[in-house]
Amino acid sequence: MIFTDGKLLPDPERRAVLDGLGPRLDAIRTAPPLRAETVIGAVDALGKRLEAEGPGSLLSRALPAGMMLGELLPLLRREALEAKLSTELGPDPFAPRSFSQTTAHVLPLGVLFHIAPGNMPGLPVYTVLEGLLTGNINLLKLPHGDKGLSLMAFKLLVEQEPLLAPYIHAFDLPSGQTGDMKILADLADGLVTWGGDGAIQAARTLAGPGCKLVEWGHRLSFAYISGYEDEPAELSALAAHIAATGQRLCSSCQTIFLDTEDREVGTAFCRKFLPYLEAAAAGSPGPGAGAMASLSGHTALLERIVDGRAQGEALFRGKGCGLILRPDHELELSPMERNVLVKLLPKKDLLPTLRRQKGRLQTAGLLCTPEKRDELTGLLARAGLTRITRAGTMSAAFPGEAHDGEYPLRRYLRIVDVERA
Amino acid sequence: MLSRQRLFWHLRPYDLPGSDRIFLQACRDNCAYHIRRCPGYAAICEHLGFSPGQLQTIEDLAKIPTIPTLFFKRKALFSMPRWRMAMKVTSSGTSGRYSQIGFDWGSILAEVPMVVGLGFRHHLVSAKPAHCIVLGYEPHRSNHTGVTRTMFGLTHFSPPLSRTYALRMVDGAYVPDLSHVVETLEKLERSHFPTRIVGFPSYLWFGLQQMVELGLRVKLPKGSRIILAGGWKQHSAQEVDKSTLYALVERTLGIPEENINELFGAVEHPIFYNTCERHHFHVPIYGRIIIRDPETLEPLPVGRVGLVDLISPLMTATPTLSVMTDDLGYLTPGEDCGCGIRSPYLTILGRVGMGDIQTCAAGAAELLGKGEAF
Repeated sequence: MIFTDGKLLPDPERRAVLDGLGPRLDAIRTAPPLRAETVIGAVDALGKRLEAEGPGSLLSRALPAGMMLGELLPLLRREALEAKLSTELGPDPFAPRSFSQTTAHVLPLGVLFHIAPGNMPGLPVYTVLEGLLTGNINLLKLPHGDKGLSLMAFKLLVEQEPLLAPYIHAFDLPSGQTGDMKILADLADGLVTWGGDGAIQAARTLAGPGCKLVEWGHRLSFAYISGYEDEPAELSALAAHIAATGQRLCSSCQTIFLDTEDREVGTAFCRKFLPYLEAAAAGSPGPGAGAMASLSGHTALLERIVDGRAQGEALFRGKGCGLILRPDHELELSPMERNVLVKLLPKKDLLPTLRRQKGRLQTAGLLCTPEKRDELTGLLARAGLTRITRAGTMSAAFPGEAHDGEYPLRRYLRIVDVERA
Repeated sequence: MLSRQRLFWHLRPYDLPGSDRIFLQACRDNCAYHIRRCPGYAAICEHLGFSPGQLQTIEDLAKIPTIPTLFFKRKALFSMPRWRMAMKVTSSGTSGRYSQIGFDWGSILAEVPMVVGLGFRHHLVSAKPAHCIVLGYEPHRSNHTGVTRTMFGLTHFSPPLSRTYALRMVDGAYVPDLSHVVETLEKLERSHFPTRIVGFPSYLWFGLQQMVELGLRVKLPKGSRIILAGGWKQHSAQEVDKSTLYALVERTLGIPEENINELFGAVEHPIFYNTCERHHFHVPIYGRIIIRDPETLEPLPVGRVGLVDLISPLMTATPTLSVMTDDLGYLTPGEDCGCGIRSPYLTILGRVGMGDIQTCAAGAAELLGKGEAF
């Protein structure tokens, strides 16, 4: 399906829509830009409407399993959106600022082309919403596997506020339609990509020199253990985090680093931590979780064997989970599905080791004795981490937090300096 | 690899005990071949402490290193150079990832007696020409999926008079055209020759639903047959009870339940599983099935639910001797079926959902359609 100018159209109309899109976007841009207040008002009203309709609403029925409308509603409130604007852009963000000879006006970048991933339902809507808040026209490639949630959300939003209609154009492009992707990229002032190295690389070839790249790439996160404040509580919290996220999020713990050089300490840790992880995995939702853990763990083991990397490692298999004590010190993606890598990384090697993953570092869950916390936090931050949390809150959302070390809205705007007469 | 040909030319397709000895020999030979020719496979066997000599009884088959289908989606392993292979085939890649499996000429030679033998046994072979409706993809040089080739192959059990495809190639893209199929069915009702419908069960179901909505009903000529292959694919949420489907087929197309055959197989394990007259997939002598504990991967006794591990010494281009699917299922003793076939039968309960995993930490180049071409 296609969503353009507030209308849902069947895919065969794509050619006609794309052919007319350039002139249409020029016409929209000729008018004064969309105001943030229009977007905030519409989203807030829609949120209230959905709340009133309750779990019977069409949108909440389209939500994937495990996602509740109740969790989304707070994000749709006026206060949340206004707080986001002021956190990221400062108070009164769109007011012109006067300098000695010029006035600086804040304008939207123009047209944003979003390439959204399929791993987080709701993200396509979220990225478009960020584009709308900054007044941009938004083109969106729907992710493979979006079962209509995004289109339904856009339809509701435009019903709520018809002024938004010209600013949202979403396309369900089948894989391989690189020609159409190129058409959309050529129309854009900014290409907003979410995805892995492959997706980012492919996006770079799509964007011409005149198109700004905004890349929200995949990130790696880990736990660093250098002592405990309350060992059983912290290990349980870490295990619960690993089991609950299935290690599928950028902020999920892939590797547990231990502040030691002694492999015996690593072995002892694995023996100690495995029962915590088993207990947490036993509570994981879905009948297939245990099967996914063992399939994923076994597949990754075979891959390491074939790549000649399995020598010197020790496997600790639990029910529905596993720990792999590796002889190297690098931060890397785990086999996931509750299969966690454990590696030794003494403090002195922390920074040089992590620098090898620059641009990919995100969250460190730090478990340590209280007197070490400030020092280790500082070291992790200087190594390139963008979030440093406690054991169990690696994937928690905090009010006012940045996205991978940046405030995204700033990247969707530009400043126009006008010399006064 | 003579032991393989001896197994596949064996005349009694469901005589498991009678074929155990030759099956084990073929597995030993197959495993030794891959260890010699495929360094990756050799490394796996060495690391896991397995050698072909350990295969002494049929229970020992569980010791063969099992390779998940997920592995083949991430890495291609081959035991012969490309030029020696008959073809390379990809799995259908329901959720964007697919495996690459090579087929050697010997495996194709071995498949002939298997397919012909089972085709006669399950009444698929007929000398009477038939019109074919394929509820699947029209073959095209850009399409390397095993299921497309299989469906095309299945139209040859009787001399094909015509072929009508539900997914037609138009301007370089597949377009579903169920209404054209329905129109063709109405014409075929008056034909002197039977109709054979080959295809995905989900397409049959959707097609029948569409006919019911339009109030259409045909009575296809006597001897018409339905051959279902390829699973429910991405429509698993709509999977329907088999008896509901069969009743709808009889009502809408006039084809009786006994003329419906279902097939099961995988690109990594191209063994020709057929349903018996009671719609059960009995294990033929060309393969063995081990059900493994989902959490420990240890073999489970008959009747218990676990991951389905498929074993066959058919392939020499890719080491698929023991392949673990992400399907959950269980085996039932053959005697419990009552159709007369004594080998145990497999019931598939569904997927554990590995294929659907896309993670933000792992990368997803398919977002941009990269990596789908072979």
